Amino acid sequence: MVRDRNSDDYFAPIRRLLVGLLILVLFAVFLAWRIDSPRMERFRAMAVDKVVPSFDWAMAPITGAANLIADFQSYQQLAEQNQNLRRELRQMTAWKEAALQLEQENAKLLGLNNVKLDPQLTYITGEVITDSGSPFRQSVLVNVGMRDGIIDGWPTMDGIGLVGRIAGVGQETSRVMLLTDTSSRIPVTIQPSGQKAILAGDNTLNPPLEFLEDTALIRPGDRVVSAGDGGVFPADLLVGQVALGSDRRMRVRLAADYQRLEFLRVLRSQPHEVIDDPGGLLAPETEFFGPAALTTLGSAVDG
Amino acid sequence: MAEVATPKIWINRAVFLAVAFVLVVVQLVPLDMRPAIWAAPDLLLLVTLVWAVRRPSYLPVLVVAAIFLMADLLFGRPPGLWAALVVILTEALRKRSKNMRNAPLLLEWGTIAFGIAAITIANRLILAVVMTPQPPLGLTLIQMIGTILVYPLVALVAHFVFGISRPAPGQVDGMGKLL
Repeated sequence: MVRDRNSDDYFAPIRRLLVGLLILVLFAVFLAWRIDSPRMERFRAMAVDKVVPSFDWAMAPITGAANLIADFQSYQQLAEQNQNLRRELRQMTAWKEAALQLEQENAKLLGLNNVKLDPQLTYITGEVITDSGSPFRQSVLVNVGMRDGIIDGWPTMDGIGLVGRIAGVGQETSRVMLLTDTSSRIPVTIQPSGQKAILAGDNTLNPPLEFLEDTALIRPGDRVVSAGDGGVFPADLLVGQVALGSDRRMRVRLAADYQRLEFLRVLRSQPHEVIDDPGGLLAPETEFFGPAALTTLGSAVDG
Repeated sequence: MAEVATPKIWINRAVFLAVAFVLVVVQLVPLDMRPAIWAAPDLLLLVTLVWAVRRPSYLPVLVVAAIFLMADLLFGRPPGLWAALVVILTEALRKRSKNMRNAPLLLEWGTIAFGIAAITIANRLILAVVMTPQPPLGLTLIQMIGTILVYPLVALVAHFVFGISRPAPGQVDGMGKLL
């Protein structure tokens, strides 16, 4: 082909070199992420923090349109919904009465026993800004961050149940890893049997329970609450109900409404006080032998 | 390549940036947080590939790298890897775009399909080698096949809406230079 390629001849080799360099840089970024993941993740949180809030104006019309369609659909079922709600409300008033009585009874009994309860959890509520944008990761971004005192690892709930935990904090935003994400692992307790298990996300809506000691003791419908094990989470946050999956595994039907996560509560979870003192021996100090003498010798040598 | 950057080229580059921006934002809108059973085709990748095959001059390599690195950061992927693979693929397509000018659509589609499959597999292999947790294989395959199948549609839209067509033999740019 006869073509005028003069300009290409000057430019092409340099360009090839620069493109090669660019690809190397990108791979270097990947390797840096693999080697020093926490630092890169902090960088990611920072970048997201800078970029995403500025998308607000672009996202508003799309969210608005989607809400409009959803509202229109719900208009069609308005009458039916209304009836259902009335029926539920009647049931709820009965439950409320029962709950009030139980609460009073509970308070009386606690008072009688002189029980010390954990101080109540306080929370910060944030709005969901974006989801993960990828079908492979289940996370959302909320508009509270370091500025509001958010710390990595704090649990997050919607009004009812546990949703996930904070994984990545920026100045004004933070990422919530949902319970459904493949890398989410949460210690849970199943009531009433009190069995411990791990709720392991697997990218489905109903995550399976792993490391169950005795499956015979739990039944579909049992309540699943978070366990305080390992100091990861505060105990007794509602997670959901046990359900038997179609693959015969015990799964959890999550209490939180994943279809509509608009506002999330981030619970300020205080770390447990750790008791690292084995407890002193109640004896007169002069009567130490053996090991005690050795340690005094050792410290004398050190000194 | 080393074409003289006419205003038309700059406008078209801006159009590409705008399209990419919209695609990223649409993916980020929080509508339904339930995990999806299937994975939608990767439109951002497709649009980039259509541009790379048909009008590489509208697609500066730096823009590709920047957009995909940003997407890696936003979408929670390992940063850099997917961006590097996409840059390699677009560069390969850019080199072939002169010969693809007269090629039938089927050949173009085949080339693209091969390219997408290659970088998807390379991505999984590299992640496996460095022992990073990976998304389920089924979802990746669904997304890959969906992406490949949707290509002609995206090419059609690019052609009729954004005017991204293969330059005809003998077509000249604004400065009278052969494309």
